[in-house]
Amino acid sequence: MNAIEIKNLTKKFGEKQALAGLNMTVPVGSIYGFIGENGSGKSTTEKIICGLIHPSSGQVKLYDKDYTDVNVRASVGVLIEAPGCYPNYSVWNNLMLQATNLSIENKEEEVKKVLKMVRMEGAAANKFKNCSLGMKQRIGIAMALLGNPKLLVLDEPINGLDADGMRIMREVLTDITTKGGTVLISSHILGELEKIATHYGIIRGGKMIVEMTADELDKSCPTFVALNAKDMSKTKEILKKNYSRVLIDEQKEYIRIYDSTSPEEVVKYLYDNNIIVNEIKTDKIGLEEYYINLMNKKGAK
Amino acid sequence: MEQKKELNFTSPSFGKRLKGMLGVDFYRLFHTPLFYIFLAIAAIIPAMILGMTGIENAQGIVEPMYTNTWQVIAAQNPLYVVSSIAEYANMNMVFIFGGIMVSIFIGHDYKSGYVKQLFTTHPKKQDYMLSKTIIGAFSMTCMCITYLFGTILAGLFVGASFSVNIGSLICAILGKMIMSLGWASLFVFLNIIFRKYFAISIASSFFFGTGILIVGAAAILGNSSILNIFLYGSSVFACLSSNILTLVTCLIVSIAWSVIYNILGTHILNKSDVY
Repeated sequence: MNAIEIKNLTKKFGEKQALAGLNMTVPVGSIYGFIGENGSGKSTTEKIICGLIHPSSGQVKLYDKDYTDVNVRASVGVLIEAPGCYPNYSVWNNLMLQATNLSIENKEEEVKKVLKMVRMEGAAANKFKNCSLGMKQRIGIAMALLGNPKLLVLDEPINGLDADGMRIMREVLTDITTKGGTVLISSHILGELEKIATHYGIIRGGKMIVEMTADELDKSCPTFVALNAKDMSKTKEILKKNYSRVLIDEQKEYIRIYDSTSPEEVVKYLYDNNIIVNEIKTDKIGLEEYYINLMNKKGAK
Repeated sequence: MEQKKELNFTSPSFGKRLKGMLGVDFYRLFHTPLFYIFLAIAAIIPAMILGMTGIENAQGIVEPMYTNTWQVIAAQNPLYVVSSIAEYANMNMVFIFGGIMVSIFIGHDYKSGYVKQLFTTHPKKQDYMLSKTIIGAFSMTCMCITYLFGTILAGLFVGASFSVNIGSLICAILGKMIMSLGWASLFVFLNIIFRKYFAISIASSFFFGTGILIVGAAAILGNSSILNIFLYGSSVFACLSSNILTLVTCLIVSIAWSVIYNILGTHILNKSDVY
């Protein structure tokens, strides 16, 4: 079963086409990394899933039921843009209000539980407006976690989080999926997303351009040999005589040889050509580079 | 298949949902200084009307405009056509403040982003309409009560007469309190329409709260009882010559408009993008 299934979804805001036939499948138990440029339609899609805006056409199903189904929607936790909290109330009161709103039986226990999950117990008495951006994001996540939702929709939840906050976020989201929950998360911090996502969807111009699992991404990302030498330009020229795909990376720190996976072979070749290698390793392109390459390709088309 | 069995979706019943929403709204109401400010204003206004208004007689002496305390609650007879502020200024003014309060109350839901959380988990928009209508009606009823206390204190202070048909007075006060429900639903409806424009929400609540449209219509139609089908008309109808029929009229009109505005508001929320 899929937690979210979207078919031919379109949304128009006046003349502006925000979504142009989006198809999307989020399996149950997955952490789905939803990636795209600003204005690509991520937030619009998430708002439709949460029932905040209506699609112009298309089909949206949550757990095989229409997205407007009252029962399913009671099991959705959400953090879109910023947490919806009253600024003059304390963190505790904001969470208690949301627990009241959700008709949770043991409100105090539940609020304590989610505060503990996001390590915010110490800040419960703080007024929401006095919290830092990172704290507010954690509170937003705590609020989304209230009532043990089966589906979490998180829009840019990592923004403003420090290293510790990001680690906590990883733990929380992974924990949710181990219990059968599903997470749809959009973020521009791809390095962080790569650590937790099991599935990816890349959207552009309101259309899904790639949808894949983390394993498929892994297979799509080429392995290469990266090396650093004293004279990078000369080394590159020598390597080009033996290898066809040789590039210097953007930071000009490493030369990448895409048609070799053997550092030993490369070192030997360079040694034979009187080049001393400072550092050599095998590496793989990550999600960020894959995404940029994909966007460049699509842009070129 | 096993996973399918584990995924059991249930949502709270209507009663639980409404209780949850009202719980949030009552908490907010009692924790917002604005509510107490409006209660205080409602208490002060009768004193201002009673103590600070006067009319010059033929000898050029300024006499109090109101000689009877209860005239500050309602007119002796239903006066839809008003020729002076004195005929207009009574407990109906509470509804203007109530309108502004409902606007600010709903405006904060949108400004804080609380509605994102709310409408994600509460897709039934009628719950929202109903909860806000109840809160609005409750706050206006409270304002009516402080207005009443303010009137009594002001009357004692200026030494105005308290003679009245007690039955009619009770019917007038209860009638106006009952009208709070209809007025609240109108203000909630207006704020649903203009939810993205806070200033327009407040302005529209103020405009309609004054009943200016009905006052204008009365200028053409005269003191016609047909105007009782409107909120302002019935609010004026609840006067010092009221009887049980007045209460029944107020009840029917208030509930009828409340149902209409709730249905319309729910329809708008269902058909439009809420955030």
